[in-house]
Amino acid sequence: MISDRVKSNLKRTFFQSLLPKIGLVLLVSIILMATFAPLLATHDPTRTGYYDEQGAEYPPIGHEYTGSIAEDGEIVEITVEPTSEHILGTNNVGQDVYSRFLYGARVSLLVGVLGTIMALAIGVPVGLIAGYYGGRVDDALMRVADTMLAFPALVLALALIGVFGESPVMVPDPFVMIGLADGMPEAIPIPGTVTIVVGLVSWVWFARVARGEALAIRNEEYVKAAKSFGTSDRTILLQHVLPNSLTPIIVLATIQIAVIILLEASLAYLGFSGTTLSWGYEIERGQDVLRTRPWVSMFPGIGIVLTVIGVNLLGDWFRDALDPNIEGEGR
Amino acid sequence: MNVGKFLLRRVLQGIFVIWGVVTIMFGLRAVSPGDPATLMLGEGATQELIEHVREQEGLNEPIYVQYFDYLQGLIVGDFGYSWRSNREVEAMVIERIPATVELAVVATIVAVVIAIPLGVISATRRNQPSDYGATMFSLLGISTPNFWLGLMLILLFGVWIGVLPTGRRAVGFGEAMVTLVQYGSATGLITWLQHIALPAITLGTYFTALITRLTRSGMIDELGKPYVTASRAKGLPNVLVRYKHVLRNTMIPIITVLGLQMGTLMGGAVITETVFNWPGLGLRLIDALDARDWPLMQGIVVFIAIAFVTINIFVDAIYSYLNPQVNE
Repeated sequence: MISDRVKSNLKRTFFQSLLPKIGLVLLVSIILMATFAPLLATHDPTRTGYYDEQGAEYPPIGHEYTGSIAEDGEIVEITVEPTSEHILGTNNVGQDVYSRFLYGARVSLLVGVLGTIMALAIGVPVGLIAGYYGGRVDDALMRVADTMLAFPALVLALALIGVFGESPVMVPDPFVMIGLADGMPEAIPIPGTVTIVVGLVSWVWFARVARGEALAIRNEEYVKAAKSFGTSDRTILLQHVLPNSLTPIIVLATIQIAVIILLEASLAYLGFSGTTLSWGYEIERGQDVLRTRPWVSMFPGIGIVLTVIGVNLLGDWFRDALDPNIEGEGR
Repeated sequence: MNVGKFLLRRVLQGIFVIWGVVTIMFGLRAVSPGDPATLMLGEGATQELIEHVREQEGLNEPIYVQYFDYLQGLIVGDFGYSWRSNREVEAMVIERIPATVELAVVATIVAVVIAIPLGVISATRRNQPSDYGATMFSLLGISTPNFWLGLMLILLFGVWIGVLPTGRRAVGFGEAMVTLVQYGSATGLITWLQHIALPAITLGTYFTALITRLTRSGMIDELGKPYVTASRAKGLPNVLVRYKHVLRNTMIPIITVLGLQMGTLMGGAVITETVFNWPGLGLRLIDALDARDWPLMQGIVVFIAIAFVTINIFVDAIYSYLNPQVNE
């Protein structure tokens, strides 16, 4: 399915420019970070705490303090500056910002990829069928797509989450299960509704692209030939139309991962997430202490930016290499 | 097909789209948990009162009757009453429109004014430092979540440097202009500018980046076409070719993309208004969501859809003007 021409294009555009290399390095680092989060983390990302002036955990766990001063008069802080113990400081409930940064990458990448798969699974069949059959089917499906476009994705997502709730899904952590990462959470919550909803609001873009491709391909000689042999529509769609429209769909899917990661972060920022481990949620939490403790918001934001830059650079590379209309950078 | 017919078809399609949005929102409300009468009256209302309100609001009617009642209301501009504040939804939407429109317009102006020259420079000086700079900027712009950008701008300009306010809309553009014209005082306008600067940059950055990218790649495509070589061979000055022909042809697809991205702009406005406590439609929508105030939510979403459809019909009109082939 991946022709030699495509392979050589991918190779050529990769070595031609610095940007795809940066994108790949960024993305691989973030994927590694997300995968090995329990091994790299210095603290349980969900554990809250109190700290003395040096940033060391102050009281034995289990004690409860209401103010910022402990019983014996020593000053106790919840949100501490970056120290050797907490290299990126702690957030406003005393959780380790660095460890949460690592786990946040898991949420971002999982929702980005799963949401895009959702959107692909709905959009591509709809688009192919609309473009291939044309006529009434096409009209009806495209009007539905228009309606979806008139909804700001964020607004529709908010309304859907409002109706269906957040329903987080607990995903068990393999490293903890095999005993390599004691003291880390046994399972982390992934926002269930959000993952489905970001797919539901993004399928239209895939439908539009798939439709355009199907429209162009259905009049090709080989499709007409296949039809004249009595090949079923299903077979033609799956064996001819789909493979030949894959290139722009792959390019779009890559870009869409970036869009969905940003959408998830926005939803979490607005308080509709289902997991407190999301970078977007952490940024919202840091907003309360922005003036005095800017690192709480700053680091998760950097995480989002780097992840999305990585995905976008990869998307640009694919587009330059795969899209025959642009044909790399050289023309 | 002539322009009139073309536009009429688009308007009919637009009405269909708005009907779709209305129906989806109504459906979501119908399946959403929680009893409207209880939401309206708050916890602790007596059963009699709840029953009374249900009867009065037609909530005991079958769902399809409620649906047609709602549609009927919409046609005459009656969006119903907010469950939370019991005010007319139209009024609650209309009073918030100026703030959002101001924000969206300023953001779009900022985006267009920066992005198009940047894209042109980038495309005409390819692989030179200015091109790399523009490319890096646009990459950062499409990759930065706007709420985080907003917070960082607040931190930088509002807290550390301390030159700009960190939120709120102190004065509307209309009032600012009135003070300028009537009293010859620019203080209102300056206050307005100070307050809108950071929100507009926050909302506009993504679009600046997007338009820069589109302009760059569109220009590069166009510059490679035979007519450019031909015009140059004919002796037309480079500037004329670039700006009169190439840029014009580049703008056609960009305008279409921007029309379709109006939804993203509205989504961005919801976020930006939340970050800056900007009293527009977006902030009202979030409040309505938090309060599960469905009539208000529906009203705002339907209004956004109407705006989206209208803008896109305008875009189509501009498109058919710029590219007469569409009408043939």
